[in-house]
Amino acid sequence: MTAKQHLTRFSAIVLPLAAVVGMSSAAQADEWTPTRNIEFIAPANPGGGWDTLVRTTSRVIQEEGLAERSFGAINVPGGGGAVAWAQIARDSGNPHKLFATSPPIILVPLAGASRYDHTSFTPIARLITDYSIVLVRNDSPYEDLPSLIEAMEQNPQLSVGGGSAPGSMDHISMAGLAAAAGLNASDVNYIPFSGGGEAMTSLMGGHVEAVITGAGEASGQLGENSQIRALGVSAPERLGGALAEVPTYQEQDIDYTFDIWRGVMGTPDMPAEAVAYYEDLFAQMLETDGWQQAREQLGWIDAYQDSEEFGAFLDEQKEQFSTILGDLGLLGE
Amino acid sequence: MTRLNSNQVIALLLALLSVGYLAMAWQIPSFPLPRPIDSDLFPKVLGFTLLGLSVLLFLEKPKAQDVPDELDPEEQRLPLLLRPWSRVAVTAVALAVYALILVPVGFVLSSVALVFGLAAYYGYRRHWVNLATALGVVLGLYLTMTRIMGVYLPTGVLPI
Amino acid sequence: MEAFNNLMYGFSIALEPINILYVFAGVFAGTIIGMLPGLGPISALALMIPLTFGMEPSSGLILMAGVYYGAIFGGSTSSILLNAPGVAGTVATSFDGYPMAKQGMAGKALAIAAYASFIGGTVSIIFLMMVAPLLGRVAVSFGPAEYFSLMVLGLTAVVSLSDKSLVKGLIAAVVGVMISIMGIDLQTGTERFTFGTVHLLDGIEFLVVALGIFALAEVFYMLLKGGGGKEQPRNAIGSLKLSKQEIKQIAPPIGRSSILGFFTGVLPGAGATIGSFLGYSMEKRLAKDGDTFGKGNIKGVAAPESANNAACTGSFVPLLTLGVPGSGSTAVLLGALLVMGVSPGPAMLVDRPDVFWGVVASMYLGNIFLLVLNLPLIPLIAKILDLPRPLLLSLILIFCMIGVYGMSFSVFDLLLLLGFGLLGLGMRLFGFPAAPLILALILGDIMEESMRRALQISGGDWSIFIDKPISMWLLIIAALSLTLPLIKRVMARRSV
Repeated sequence: MTAKQHLTRFSAIVLPLAAVVGMSSAAQADEWTPTRNIEFIAPANPGGGWDTLVRTTSRVIQEEGLAERSFGAINVPGGGGAVAWAQIARDSGNPHKLFATSPPIILVPLAGASRYDHTSFTPIARLITDYSIVLVRNDSPYEDLPSLIEAMEQNPQLSVGGGSAPGSMDHISMAGLAAAAGLNASDVNYIPFSGGGEAMTSLMGGHVEAVITGAGEASGQLGENSQIRALGVSAPERLGGALAEVPTYQEQDIDYTFDIWRGVMGTPDMPAEAVAYYEDLFAQMLETDGWQQAREQLGWIDAYQDSEEFGAFLDEQKEQFSTILGDLGLLGE
Repeated sequence: MTRLNSNQVIALLLALLSVGYLAMAWQIPSFPLPRPIDSDLFPKVLGFTLLGLSVLLFLEKPKAQDVPDELDPEEQRLPLLLRPWSRVAVTAVALAVYALILVPVGFVLSSVALVFGLAAYYGYRRHWVNLATALGVVLGLYLTMTRIMGVYLPTGVLPI
Repeated sequence: MEAFNNLMYGFSIALEPINILYVFAGVFAGTIIGMLPGLGPISALALMIPLTFGMEPSSGLILMAGVYYGAIFGGSTSSILLNAPGVAGTVATSFDGYPMAKQGMAGKALAIAAYASFIGGTVSIIFLMMVAPLLGRVAVSFGPAEYFSLMVLGLTAVVSLSDKSLVKGLIAAVVGVMISIMGIDLQTGTERFTFGTVHLLDGIEFLVVALGIFALAEVFYMLLKGGGGKEQPRNAIGSLKLSKQEIKQIAPPIGRSSILGFFTGVLPGAGATIGSFLGYSMEKRLAKDGDTFGKGNIKGVAAPESANNAACTGSFVPLLTLGVPGSGSTAVLLGALLVMGVSPGPAMLVDRPDVFWGVVASMYLGNIFLLVLNLPLIPLIAKILDLPRPLLLSLILIFCMIGVYGMSFSVFDLLLLLGFGLLGLGMRLFGFPAAPLILALILGDIMEESMRRALQISGGDWSIFIDKPISMWLLIIAALSLTLPLIKRVMARRSV
C-alpha cells in the first residue's frame, strides 16, 4: 500500500469527472506541482562539477521563473557521492528531493564502494555532457593517438596521468580507449592525481608522458603558447571553440567514444507525476537564454534525455563500464 | 609489583592501539593491478613505528610536564556536578547531544540552547544578557550563512 | 622598466572607482570569513561565483582574490584570541599567538600578525610582478618525486616542534600520519581504516582535527583548571605598540618567511598551511631563543603570519601563468574565471593583460586596506576577551561546532570534533605536543601519495628520488637539518 497507488486511484476517479467538466481542467487535475521548496543535492563540496550543475540550474530556473517553488542547493559531500546517496536512498518516494549525478553513480558502486547504484534511484533527465581528451607535451614525439598507443604497447611503463583514482572516470576512459585500440585495458600505466589540474601540471613539467582529463577543463590550457597539445577527444564528432582542431578518436580509426554526462535523479520510487513534472521543467530550462548563456560559459554541451531514455542509457553505461572494470580486475563484490 | 607510571600506562595503551592498527592494516586488500607500493605498506610501517615508539615511551621517566597538575582542592569540594571533571564531562555530553539534535530540532533552536545552557551552567547569572547574546550570535550567523552565502542549514521545527 | 609600465597599467585598472570598491568589499568580507572558525575561503569563494556573473573578469577576480587573501589575513585573529584557527593557514599562528594573548599581550600579537601579514603579502606581490612569468617553470618542475622530498624535509620539523619529549613528539607525528591516510586511497581506490562507514571514505577533514585539538581542548582545559565562572576574565589586551627592539627582532624572520612562503605558495598543492609551518619551524631552528617558541615568542607569530600571506599570493603564480590551480581556493578561482570567459594560462598575459596586471595591482591596494582596516579594529575585536568567561567559553564552543558543520554538513564530523577535543585534552595533560600531530596530518598523505606516484612512474625504481636534482637537494637538506643539531651538540661537548 504505497502513496503512489493512492495517487493513481485518485486520478482514476477524478479524470472521468474532469472530462465532463472540460479538457483544460482535466490537464490541471492530472498535473503535479511541488508543494514545498525542492532540495537539490550536490553530493560534493562547493566548487566541483556536481555543485556547479546544481547551482547553475537552480539559478536559471529561479531567474526564468520556471517553477513555483524555489530550488535550494544543498551540499552533501563525502565518499565520492556515497554519503549523499545513502542519505537520499532513505527518503523513498519524496517528490521534493533531487540530486545531480554523473558516471560515478555507476562506477563507485561497481567498485564496491556504495550499496546504492543508479537503479536505487529514479532517473529524471540527462542534461549535459563533456568528453575525455588525451594530452601530451608540446615537444612530445607523439603526433597522434596511434603513435601514442604504439609507444604504450612497446613500453608498458609509459605513464598516463589522470585526475581521479583508478577505476574512476579518467582511468576507465583511458583503459577503454586502449582496449579499443587493441591493447589490454590493464596495460595502461595509469598515474592518479587528485585533479585534472594537478595532472596537467605534471604533464607540463615532464613528469608523466600523457594525461587524460575532461575536455572542458583542458580547453583553457590549449591554444597558442601552450606547453601542451591534444591528441584526441572521445566525442562522436569534433567539438567547437578552442577544441575545433582536435580530432576525435574515431577519425584516427579507434572506434571508441566516452561521455562524461551529467544529469538529475530523484529519490527511489518517486511518483510518476512528479517525474513528469521535473522532466518537463528541465526540458524547458534547456531552452532558455539564461541557460544557453551559462552553458556556453561553462563549456557544457546539451545532451537532454528524458527519464525513460536516461534510465536505458544508464543501464547501457553500466554494462560498458563493467566490461572495462572486469578487464582491469577492479570489479568489487 | 610497583605501580606503573603515567608514561608506562600510556605506552601500554599505545602498544595495544598499534597492534589493533596492524591487524587492520593486514586486512587491507591488495590491488589487482601491479603497484610498486600497495595500499598496505605505509600503514604497516606506521603500525610498527608506533609499536616501537611505545616501547621507548615505556622506558622514559615521566617529567613534570608529563603528569597532570593537581586540581584545585577547593574546587574538588564543590557539589558533584560542578567539579572540574564533571564540567568537562557535562560539556562533552552537551556537545554530543547538540550534534544529534541539530538536524531534527533545527539549527537556530539547538544552537541557542547550547550557548545559553552552557554559559548558565558555567555560572553566568545574567540570564537575559545571556539569552540576548546567544540569540544575536546564532541568528546573525544563521542569516549570514543562509541568506547571504546560500548555505543550507537545517531548519528543524522552526519555520525559518 | 617593463614591469613598472605593466604595473602602472595595472594600477590604471585597479584604481577605477568600481574596482577600488571591489577590493575593499573583498578584503572586508574575507577578513570576516577568516575570523569565523571553520568558514574557510574555499566555500566562501565557491558560493560567491554567482555574484560575479556578468562582471568584468578583472573586477570579478579582484573581488574574489580579495576575499581569499583577506581570509588568510583575518584568520590569525581567532587563532590568537581563541586558539581556534579561522582558516587552516593560520594554525601555526596560534602556537605563539595564543600564549601571548593569555599573557595579556593580545593587542601586540594581533598587531604583529597584521604587520607581518602586510609585509609578507606585499613582498610576495613584488615577486609575483617581477618573476611570475619565469616562475611558471619552477612550479611545474615539481613532480611527484620532488613533492615527496619536500614533504620529508617538512616532516623533519617534527623534531624541533617536540622539544619536551622527542618520543612523545614522534608518537604524535605518527598518529598524525595515521589520521591523514584514512579514507579512500587515491592510488588504488582501496578503503583504509574507514571502519565500514561512508563518513570516513574521504578521510578526516583537517579543520575538524585542528579545531578539536586546539580550540575545543583549550576550552576543556580551562574548564578543568579555570574555576568555571568564579574567576574574573583576563581583560588585559595590552598595548599595540612595538618597541624598537621588538621590531629589530621580528624583521629578519618576517623577511625570511615572506620569501620562503612565497616559493611554497608557488608550488601547486603546497600552499599557505605548509608555508606557515615551514616558516615557523625554520625560525624556531634559527632562533637563539628557540626554546621559548610555543610560549609566546613574538617571532613565532611573525614568521607563520608573513609566510602564509606570502604563500597565498604565491599561489596565484601557477593559477595566472599556467592556468593550473595550486590549492582548493585557487581551483575555485579558476572555475570562476572560466565562467567569466577568461582562460588563465600562458596566453592570458598576452590576451588579457588587464586581468593579470589589474589583479596584481589590486593586491597592493588590498594589503594596504587590510592593514588600515585591521589595526584600528584590533582593540575592538580583542574586546571579545572581555566577555565574561562562561559566555566566552560557550561561544567558542558554538563557533567550532558551526564552523565544522558549515564546512561538511555532517553530524558525524561534529562528533569527531568532540572526540578530537577530548584527545587534545588528554595530550595536553600528559605532555604530548599537538604541533607535530598537526604537521604530520598536513604532510603525511601528500608524502605517501607522491612517493607512490613517483615509484609508479619509475616502475618501482627508488633511484628516482636522487636522480632528480631538486629532489636530491631537498633530501640532503632534510638529512642535514636532522643531523646538524646533533653534531653541534657533540662539538659543543667536546670543546668544554
